[in-house]
Amino acid sequence: MDTASDTAVLLTDVTKSYGPVKVLDIPRLELARGQIVAVVGENGAGKSTLMGVLSGTVTPTTGSVEIAGTPLQPGRPDLSRDLGVALVAQEFPLVGQLSVAENLLLGRRPQRAGSRPLGRLVVDRAGIRAEARALLAEIGVTGVDVDRPVENYPVPVRQMIEIAKAWGHRPVVLVLDEPTSSLGPVEAGRVLELAREHTRAGGAVLFIGHRLDEVRAIADRVIVLRSGRPVADLTPAEATEERMIREMVGTDLARADLAPTSSAERTTTLSVRALTAEGLGPVDLRVRAGEIVGVAGLMGSGRSRLLHTVMGAQPRTGGTVEFDGRDFRPRHPADAVEAGIGMVPEDRKAQSLLPAHSVRWNVTLTTLRRISTRGVLRPRTDKEHARRIVKDLGVRLHSQEQPIGDLSGGNQQKAVFGRWLAAGPKLLLLDEPTRGVDVGAKAEIYALIDDAAEQGLAVLVASSELEELLWICHRIVVMAHGRVVADLPRERFGKEAIMTAAAGTRPGASTQGKASA
Amino acid sequence: MKTSTAPAPSEADAGAEARGSLARRLRETPEVGVVAACVVVFAALAIDRSTFADAVNLQGMGFDLAQYGLIAIGESLVILTGGIDLSVGALLGTSVILMSWFNVRAGLPPVVAVLATLAITGLVGLLHGLAVTRLKMAPFVVTLVTYTVAQGVTLAITSGTSITGIGGLFGDIGQTYVAQIPLPLILFAVVAVAAWFFLERTYVGRQVYAVGGNAEAARLAGIRGDRRVVAMYVTSSLLSGFAGIMVLGRMGVGSASGVGVGWELSAIAAAVIGGVSLVGGQGRIVGIVAGTVLLEFINNGLTILQINSDYTNIVLGCVLALAITADRLRARGIARRG
Repeated sequence: MDTASDTAVLLTDVTKSYGPVKVLDIPRLELARGQIVAVVGENGAGKSTLMGVLSGTVTPTTGSVEIAGTPLQPGRPDLSRDLGVALVAQEFPLVGQLSVAENLLLGRRPQRAGSRPLGRLVVDRAGIRAEARALLAEIGVTGVDVDRPVENYPVPVRQMIEIAKAWGHRPVVLVLDEPTSSLGPVEAGRVLELAREHTRAGGAVLFIGHRLDEVRAIADRVIVLRSGRPVADLTPAEATEERMIREMVGTDLARADLAPTSSAERTTTLSVRALTAEGLGPVDLRVRAGEIVGVAGLMGSGRSRLLHTVMGAQPRTGGTVEFDGRDFRPRHPADAVEAGIGMVPEDRKAQSLLPAHSVRWNVTLTTLRRISTRGVLRPRTDKEHARRIVKDLGVRLHSQEQPIGDLSGGNQQKAVFGRWLAAGPKLLLLDEPTRGVDVGAKAEIYALIDDAAEQGLAVLVASSELEELLWICHRIVVMAHGRVVADLPRERFGKEAIMTAAAGTRPGASTQGKASA
Repeated sequence: MKTSTAPAPSEADAGAEARGSLARRLRETPEVGVVAACVVVFAALAIDRSTFADAVNLQGMGFDLAQYGLIAIGESLVILTGGIDLSVGALLGTSVILMSWFNVRAGLPPVVAVLATLAITGLVGLLHGLAVTRLKMAPFVVTLVTYTVAQGVTLAITSGTSITGIGGLFGDIGQTYVAQIPLPLILFAVVAVAAWFFLERTYVGRQVYAVGGNAEAARLAGIRGDRRVVAMYVTSSLLSGFAGIMVLGRMGVGSASGVGVGWELSAIAAAVIGGVSLVGGQGRIVGIVAGTVLLEFINNGLTILQINSDYTNIVLGCVLALAITADRLRARGIARRG
């Protein structure tokens, strides 16, 4: 199978160094046509650099790259694209104000056939629209108006548009950078299907993934990167999650450490009755002290809305919330913080961080008032307080004065956890607590959640990663269409049970369930 | 995923710090550059023209500095929250006229006239704050309305004439020296120190930065950002009124001509030159004061150098262009890392 015509991509002695630091060092890597090759590794392992080299945005320090036998000219993304490399990036370069159609055909507009010379300068709007619609249909995206600006659509849809855009280039090699991290299970499944289709048509797929279960399910071959080097080249059979994690981290992750402790019968911390808000409810839910309750559900099932409504960040339209034995009606998240609730929101950059400000400012944000005397903040107390939080949480940094944006995703997230744990809450609301976090930090965050629960905190955690919920939770509630449609104790945990409930087809679970059945 | 371009974070960070710690510190404390610029400009002018550094000229600059500096601080507080206040200059002009009108035409004692005026400016600031936070109106537009209306009110009251016969209190504040130092300059220094203390040493001040840095993150962290924003608009308007006392005292008559209009641009320029980021959340009092001082040095220096005043704005504009370019480059550096 190693004949020249079967080789889609060949990297020889490719290295990339920034100053004295070598971030990528690949002696030889060959991607065959008809194969899905997954690349896994912690953040900083060199996955993005590898992709950059392929797509022409990163110029390798040494070595050569060939696409289907033709050498790639480094630093020329346009030439890479012409040679047949299409990249679906994790942070999309879609132009928000342009319409879906314009984005899809960006950089290669169709022209009116057989028109006068001047006609070549005229954008063929009808042609663009038609082609865009065809492309979306091929990808399996429905209900998108190609004339509307991309920014009007939510992230999952934008991700699908991004994939359609790459698809439209009819590439030799399709590079997917965590394409499913912002998608719900159904859309994610469709993306994996597309990757399969592409290889069946003779293309190659390079798949960068964080979700190891997904990697296992899709890949014909798994390459593990660690500190820029390929450290393992596994067949699907060899690539168990334990094995991949071991190769990525370089040590064994003791699974026993992560297994949740059984919840003792404790007092109810949070009791939600018939809670409604825009796009939510009515929801009934109880979380006891020391209990970790997971919230599963598809995109738009109301997971985040539930957390936001409890927090007082989204107005409530009805129902009651009892927190710590008292009726609780927050009108602003400040009320919730004061009462003893903390929330780690979904989008770290937009909802958690002051990205340009120091780690110190970020970790002390929720406790500023508490550490000041009559409103005055003493620099020494402030620094000492921040030092303790950073140390307790094991945030790796070189100075608490460095901007938090400089830290890796995992360390940023630990800092956000530290911000809340320092406030000594009784209830933690976690929304996608490990999104964009590498495996090592994930384990640390799970341990933090576990510790917090053991100390009597009630934890409500929403996540689109089922593995994660199955791993850390005592109980999982499944949401669909803004309602709770299933409540599963640990003994009834199972992906299938959750997925069926989430899809809303569980008989008698809800009105939506009946309607679609 | 951007972090993936770096290897093990600790290594990369250590390397980066060793190589670029000075550059990085300069980038993160833009105030250093402005203060240095002040020193250089002052030294150059003082060497070239001895009149620049003589007592009379320094005192003159002190008076100017007080009136521009006060509104620059107010302006900066608003910019820190991520907003902008276009009304500071026009409102200063109106407060000069209101004070003299209350005092002379309405026959109120100077103290009452001052308090009434401050109450009105405070109320205007409150309206700005509520419009921005409750109605989610764009700060630019809200304060542009006040900018226009305030100028109109000023003209309507005076019909273009001056109000003479104001009380002695104004002169006592606006024209007095304490040990050769103009009293307004001292009052400005007091306000500057208070603002510094507020921003650097109180938790509410830190929350103001947080709101400007990321309003949604601040809200979800339990900070009542709207209250902070409203308070900053009120403070900005109050400082315009307060600066009005100095201006009225210095002029001795309530006159609308040449007072206040366009000063908001100097205030914004001073803030930006001093390292205040127009997107909010970044900037310190040291820089803001230094920015005001630098503008005053340049303004005054051009006069001393007998350069045709028609050229003044060209020079000031170029300085501003330099400052905003630096601000942009800095913001881009931060965004790239964030």
